[in-house]
Amino acid sequence: MTTSPAFVSDPTITVDRMSKWFGQKVAVSDLSCSFGTGLTGLLGPNGAGKTTLLRVIAGLLRPSDGSVTLLGANPRRKPAVYASVALVPEEDAVYGFLTARQFVRYAAQLSGTSTDLVDKAILDVELADAADRPISGFSKGMRQRAKVAAALVSEPTVLILDEPLNGTDPVQRAKLITTFRHLAEKRTVIVSSHVLAEVERMADRVLAIVDGKLAAAGDISAIRQAMSDIPYRVRVETDDARRIAGSLMTVDHVSSVAVDGDTLHIETDDLSALGRSVPELARSADARVTAFEPEDESLESVFRYLVRRR
Amino acid sequence: MTGFLAIVRVTLRQLLGGKRLIVLGLLGAIPAVVVWLATANRVSSDVLETYNESAIPTLFLIVVPITSIVLGSASLGDERRDGTLSFLVVRPIPRSAIAAAKLAAAALAAVIVSVLSGALASAAVSIRTSDWSTLVPTLVGLAIAAGCYAAVFLVLGHLTSRAVLIGLVYLFLWETGISFAAPSLANISLFRIGLTAYVGMLPESQAVLSEPLGSLTPGAGGAALKLLILGALAIATAAALLRTRDIT
Repeated sequence: MTTSPAFVSDPTITVDRMSKWFGQKVAVSDLSCSFGTGLTGLLGPNGAGKTTLLRVIAGLLRPSDGSVTLLGANPRRKPAVYASVALVPEEDAVYGFLTARQFVRYAAQLSGTSTDLVDKAILDVELADAADRPISGFSKGMRQRAKVAAALVSEPTVLILDEPLNGTDPVQRAKLITTFRHLAEKRTVIVSSHVLAEVERMADRVLAIVDGKLAAAGDISAIRQAMSDIPYRVRVETDDARRIAGSLMTVDHVSSVAVDGDTLHIETDDLSALGRSVPELARSADARVTAFEPEDESLESVFRYLVRRR
Repeated sequence: MTGFLAIVRVTLRQLLGGKRLIVLGLLGAIPAVVVWLATANRVSSDVLETYNESAIPTLFLIVVPITSIVLGSASLGDERRDGTLSFLVVRPIPRSAIAAAKLAAAALAAVIVSVLSGALASAAVSIRTSDWSTLVPTLVGLAIAAGCYAAVFLVLGHLTSRAVLIGLVYLFLWETGISFAAPSLANISLFRIGLTAYVGMLPESQAVLSEPLGSLTPGAGGAALKLLILGALAIATAAALLRTRDIT
């Protein structure tokens, strides 16, 4: 089981053939993986099932099938494990009428930890200047940092962060990433994101999820390698689509061409070579190219490809 | 215990903050204003009669139920609606303790508003009559009724976002309608639990209001016991819901 990159040898969290559905909608399907010390990035497009997976791990949702263990227990049956767990949910789970300091102190009191750590947690997220202002007046990024401080104050051994960098500016983001990496030296830290570059900066290990399924797992270079094999789809608009399509069929790096009126849908394994070929072919055909656009560079399409390939 | 008290403290601020307190405060002032105006230039015995006929029904059938339904429903309902329930439950605190703290806060908030309203109304007649014998029975009766409503609507507030609407329908159809028409159904009436305590504690010379009690026997002890049973049931049910329902 531990030979698969989806699993670690000394797990603190184990997800075993877990599925979660809401009515007819399947959010997570037969997913198995584990997490241990270090920072794991949970990568996937919006709606992929990342939040559902994290909420099942945190015990907020019951799995429809399969099981999840957190520090060796089912947290819904044994809330004592929460003494070592902190969750930063994606939504604005804050009390607007409290100041940031009161909010973090409340988190410490609920977790049964010392309130002496409140100031440190606030400093760690660089919120000291605004700590005594009501959260209702905070920007999205400040709210995110208040939530992170409320999670850090209990000094958890398992830290689950759902899109924690949303709304933060680049400087805050860099600082938070450094904080997460530092925490992950001795703790299990899971960070979800739909932004590949973010995950790349902080996580050594990545689980990619799409449509509720595990699309890829391993270190970031393995994910990058998997993505480099994906054919690119390009849309070209021209006033002589049929003639250019005919010429493109003879080009090596073009695997398919479809004509739709004045539009060409081209599939290629070498985007830059296609970028050179199309203008040359248009010139020789005396045609005019008015658009040359990648059709599916989104993370979602990349992951869909990975799922299809598995 | 620290976590329990912290939940009670924050929930009280959540429930009694902002416009809600102003609206409930204005509602709570109505019985005192009504009884003060209605008893002007009356003799003492008429004043007490007017108090029992106008202020007590307003307190037990309008102020306490509306206040307690709103605050009881909001105690867990606001957390669910605002997404803060996930902040609360991912803690090393038994779900029963969370439910108990939320009920304690909701009941305390409802009792504060109801008791202040009752104290004002009772003071309004006591000033005119120089007889303060209605004060303690009023406060005890209102506190018990507020606690009963808070217990029931704590659970409903977690189950549905329409708890207040359901509460108002229950109040106007059942409490003020059907249960009056059929006295044998008085047992299934929350305001009457508090009213039995009020009537039971009044001096004998003022023992009135037997009609709304239906088949119930006046007495504070029985009312307090019913409150305890309702509270325990509410905590057990809310805790079970927190354990078994998805928190989205």
